[in-house]
Amino acid sequence: MNSQIQVIPIETDVLVIGGGLAGCMAAIKAAEHGVKVVIAEKANTENSGCAGTGIDHSWAYIPPVHDPMGYTLNDLMEDHIQGTSAGMVNRDLLYLVASQNYHRMLDLEKFGINIRYQDSTLPGGFRVVPQFHSVPTSFNFEGRFLKLQMTREAKKRGVEIFNRVMMTELLPSDGEIAGAVGIGVRDGKIYSFKAKTVVLSTGRSNRMTRSVSGPRHNLRVPAEDTGDGKAMALRAGVGVINMELLTGLWFNIGGNEINLGSPRNTTQPAGSITGPTGEMFVPRTQFYDWSKLGKEKFDAAQVRPLWMQFRGAPPDYFALRKQGKGPFFLDLTSGTEEEIKYIEWSISHEGKGCYWLDHLSQQENFDFRKDKLEYLPNTRELSIAQAAGVVVDKNLETELKGLFAAGDEVGGLPFSSSPGAFSMGWHAGDLAGLRAKKQNSFREIRDQQTESLKQVCAEMLERRTGFHWTELELAVQNIVDYYCGDERSEAYLLRGLERLAQLKAETPLKAENAHELGRCLEVRSVIENAEMVMRASIERKESRRQPSRFIRAEYPEQDDANFFCFLSQKRIDEKVRFSKIPL
Amino acid sequence: MHTPVMFDENVCNGCNICVEVCPMDILGPNPEKNRPPLVLYGDECRYCGACWIRCPHGKRNALRIIVPPSMRVSILRGARN
Repeated sequence: MNSQIQVIPIETDVLVIGGGLAGCMAAIKAAEHGVKVVIAEKANTENSGCAGTGIDHSWAYIPPVHDPMGYTLNDLMEDHIQGTSAGMVNRDLLYLVASQNYHRMLDLEKFGINIRYQDSTLPGGFRVVPQFHSVPTSFNFEGRFLKLQMTREAKKRGVEIFNRVMMTELLPSDGEIAGAVGIGVRDGKIYSFKAKTVVLSTGRSNRMTRSVSGPRHNLRVPAEDTGDGKAMALRAGVGVINMELLTGLWFNIGGNEINLGSPRNTTQPAGSITGPTGEMFVPRTQFYDWSKLGKEKFDAAQVRPLWMQFRGAPPDYFALRKQGKGPFFLDLTSGTEEEIKYIEWSISHEGKGCYWLDHLSQQENFDFRKDKLEYLPNTRELSIAQAAGVVVDKNLETELKGLFAAGDEVGGLPFSSSPGAFSMGWHAGDLAGLRAKKQNSFREIRDQQTESLKQVCAEMLERRTGFHWTELELAVQNIVDYYCGDERSEAYLLRGLERLAQLKAETPLKAENAHELGRCLEVRSVIENAEMVMRASIERKESRRQPSRFIRAEYPEQDDANFFCFLSQKRIDEKVRFSKIPL
Repeated sequence: MHTPVMFDENVCNGCNICVEVCPMDILGPNPEKNRPPLVLYGDECRYCGACWIRCPHGKRNALRIIVPPSMRVSILRGARN
């Protein structure tokens, strides 16, 4: 039976695994070197990944705006290091993204994305809003169909896109990358790629914990991102950091989980958080006074401490609730008509907001001008604040030579998000393309991973009795939620790991077709990511509340002497070992 | 099973763009040509709206996203005139 699964062999100079923002950018840039570039994408690059249904903002150092302000690239870096990341940041990656993302915004313009506005009074006709730094640094652009446009740009440059192909194994060869293998989640065929260089960009690790609203894939972040890249990187001997920083529950728009900021981002400037009788919990954002631009020098060193205090973390809504405060509401009712129109434009250009406003007005008869939306707990996640991902050098190359990583796949830059995807994607694609061009032949693939994937898939398809992927996924989520919750301790984490191991050994999965086969392999990634989270949680013997709330019951204090570092886990000779990467 | 997407047979012409782009791959083409796609894996929807924004007949409600009760937002209604 096993032999019935067809294997499609493909040779390419550059293989991009995951066609989100980072992957598309990497492919576009790599193809400019005149090499053969292929994207393997689990969904469809036109609408997949975090930006699948739009993205409208991206932070950057913007010389035409920030120079006359007197705000330097170094000021932005310091804001990001001291404020946004609480020191837990890879400075090389920060420099790469902060200095390059403005140029990537200009690239978007070349791709046909509007980044300039007639009503803007800023240099360049840009719209720039405050988000992560002491001055406004986030570009606003018309990114509702960005992934569709990037797909067209990639195809224009000859990039070949394999949609509905989920990669599951990297193929290393003597410390270098030689290719990767995966499964067609519609056709059930195995795709075996030989490649000179590979860019890994599969995005985040989701679905490890239960969706608080019930519907299994109602998350703030894409449910198709199941940490496949991190799982395959670990299996291939590449280090992974920051996995312990999986969040606890947090507050945002509840029910239909959607992120509109805290309310510092999308709902600026009118957004505030108020109680039912108008009590203020988060006031409106104070915007930079653009009339001062070019006239008054901004003193970042002086403003930063104030900004950090004001920005801080969002209030601890759980603690406030214990004091009898709340319920909490996102309140835009103080906004002017112009402000509300702008916020509605912004919401409709990003993520779930693309249909949500229409849904709110048509099906819920909702209007921001008079109605308020309740903040409720959101599902736990490894979000942009956590910067969990693979270890790379300053040129985005992993410890496996020829394997680059980009975007949310990379660990070490909190709030990397779209700037990280654009800038790292471009840089990784550039280097992967150049390297592939110089390399004349393919490395020999000697491993058995294609055969073993074939075996695993055949077993799942042929098994008469076995469990549906949803049953196993729910069991994993129960374990993570109980043993690896908001406050963690070694005894529970160890027990959780034992129970995950037991699940893996005793829960054979059964798939009816290629679609379910893909889901089964996703659950395998989810389990391996959950194991990484628990292992790393044991290793971090301290509590670290910023930039992500990590609490160890036995170690309530922050221990900078021993743990102001990234913890890297790496598989060596079938055992996972930890090392500390200094900051 | 949730029915996260409802098609209007009078508007949808079965172009299947939504089938092609759905990130969770929950839709399938109708075996009958020019007819609305089938919801094959409704429980796997992630309510991202890709089908809705890419639908060429979206303005005429060829498809609507139906949010289940547990996902409805909680609204504090303002004062009405």
